[in-house]
Amino acid sequence: MYFFYSLCICNHIGCMRSPLWLDMAALVRALRAGRALRGLGSVAVQGTVSPQCRNARRGFHCATLLRLADDSKSGTSVPPPSFHEVPTAGESSSSSEPSEDGQPNTSYQDQSGEHGEDYETEEQLQVRILTSALEFVPEHGWTVEAIAAGAETLGLSSASTGMFNNGAGDLVLHFVAQCNAQLADTLAEQHNLVQLGQAESKEMAEFLRDAVEMRLRMLIPYIDTWPQAMSILLLPHNIPDSLKHLSTMVDDIWYYAGDRSTDMNWYTRRAALTGIYNTTELVMVQDSSPDFEDTWAFLDNRIKDVVNMANTAKQVN
Amino acid sequence: MLRGSQQTILLTAGQPCINSISAVPFVRGYSVLPPTNDEEEKSMLHRMMRVDHAGEYGANRIYAGQMAVLGCTQTRPLIQEMWDQEKKHLSKFNEILGDNRVRPTLLLPLWNIAGFALGAGSALLGKEGAMACTVAVEESISEHYNSQIRTLMEKDPEKYTELLQMIKEFRDDEMEHHDTGLEHDAESVPGYQLMKAIIQTGCKAAIYVSERDVCVCTDHLEHKRAVFAF
Repeated sequence: MYFFYSLCICNHIGCMRSPLWLDMAALVRALRAGRALRGLGSVAVQGTVSPQCRNARRGFHCATLLRLADDSKSGTSVPPPSFHEVPTAGESSSSSEPSEDGQPNTSYQDQSGEHGEDYETEEQLQVRILTSALEFVPEHGWTVEAIAAGAETLGLSSASTGMFNNGAGDLVLHFVAQCNAQLADTLAEQHNLVQLGQAESKEMAEFLRDAVEMRLRMLIPYIDTWPQAMSILLLPHNIPDSLKHLSTMVDDIWYYAGDRSTDMNWYTRRAALTGIYNTTELVMVQDSSPDFEDTWAFLDNRIKDVVNMANTAKQVN
Repeated sequence: MLRGSQQTILLTAGQPCINSISAVPFVRGYSVLPPTNDEEEKSMLHRMMRVDHAGEYGANRIYAGQMAVLGCTQTRPLIQEMWDQEKKHLSKFNEILGDNRVRPTLLLPLWNIAGFALGAGSALLGKEGAMACTVAVEESISEHYNSQIRTLMEKDPEKYTELLQMIKEFRDDEMEHHDTGLEHDAESVPGYQLMKAIIQTGCKAAIYVSERDVCVCTDHLEHKRAVFAF
């Protein structure tokens, strides 16, 4: 038990990237998790661990913590998932682990425990945790508690929130990225149908309106806590990422709307759509009409304005 | 679905467009830019295309400026012919930018004005001035295309076959303009060497700036998409 605690401290000191207070918070959570661990002496904490203490890989110490917590239930030693560059073939033990029913450990599909396509990277694990954390957002808000609750449903320790340096910011950015990916996929499908002649193509204004509405509707399940998410996105260290997500989304919408401009129009169109999207989002968070009718009416009007302006500009030219 | 693979599907499906109402241009059977999922390579290719597009756009405006001044003289057909070739180059780059979702450079208005001013200003020195300007600019552009060809050949000549072919073709056209300019008494303008040096320095500066045209907001988070494919 003491070895485990000293291991945690060693990892936290060795890992240069987390601020100390985050480490302490994670350490406290680890201590709470540690109390639940039994037979830790039987866990083969690998000799490979101490050289990795000095490894600056952010995910390592957290992955170790959550793996050790995981092991408490399986009672076997498992190579940490972030160690895909260290050949730990000697410790293939996943044969026993996935057979337990209480463990929704879907990352090891291959029972032989070989590293390869079934090997989950740290990023994939983070995505899984954040995705499952989303269902706890209505309850806990966009916070680290939601992430912890999400991790627990996957059978991982709540100390795995230490993996997320940005805490709630990671959760919000993940959600935004997920929504944008979904939007892009839907738009691509529609685009393909139009190209195959199986669907009518929409007029540009209607297309933009439908795309923005589709994207904003994805916020509806979280609309009560969305102002909190918006304020998180406006934090200075989150602004570059949130701006990139926003501009990716706007570029996607314009591309599928058929914009192929290669002059200043490229910039003015995207700026206009960004403005429309942001203002409509703001209207939406304080809209209490049934099914957000007022928001869609607002969106309609804004798009009409932009179209009018564009037509006027064309006439003047 | 990865965005990269979406592009691959869009760019390699050879289906003819049935619905002509669609405003989106139909998919071609080949693409000049090889489809890639590697972020760095994609960003390098996009940067190259952005600079080339800006270059052709500028060249277009230079000829427009020259035409504005010398349009009523004997040199009109000569300038028109060279201008038409540049227009073809520009439309090819427009196509590439549109198909591959490459962002055009933010400095286009600047190249618009600067190009026109250079073309008109040099044409005010007469036909020889305009030819001298053509020689200087075309030499810079050829050099630039040559260095791009070198870069691509160093990386992977087979992968970039179509792109290399296109750039070589354009470079040959520019060299032709350069030679035409020399044939038509470019060197007889007073201060030829000085004028040439100034213009070429300007071109080099323009290329340098355009290459570093980084729009922080729009350099997309492509790699994040990949994770949602699981």
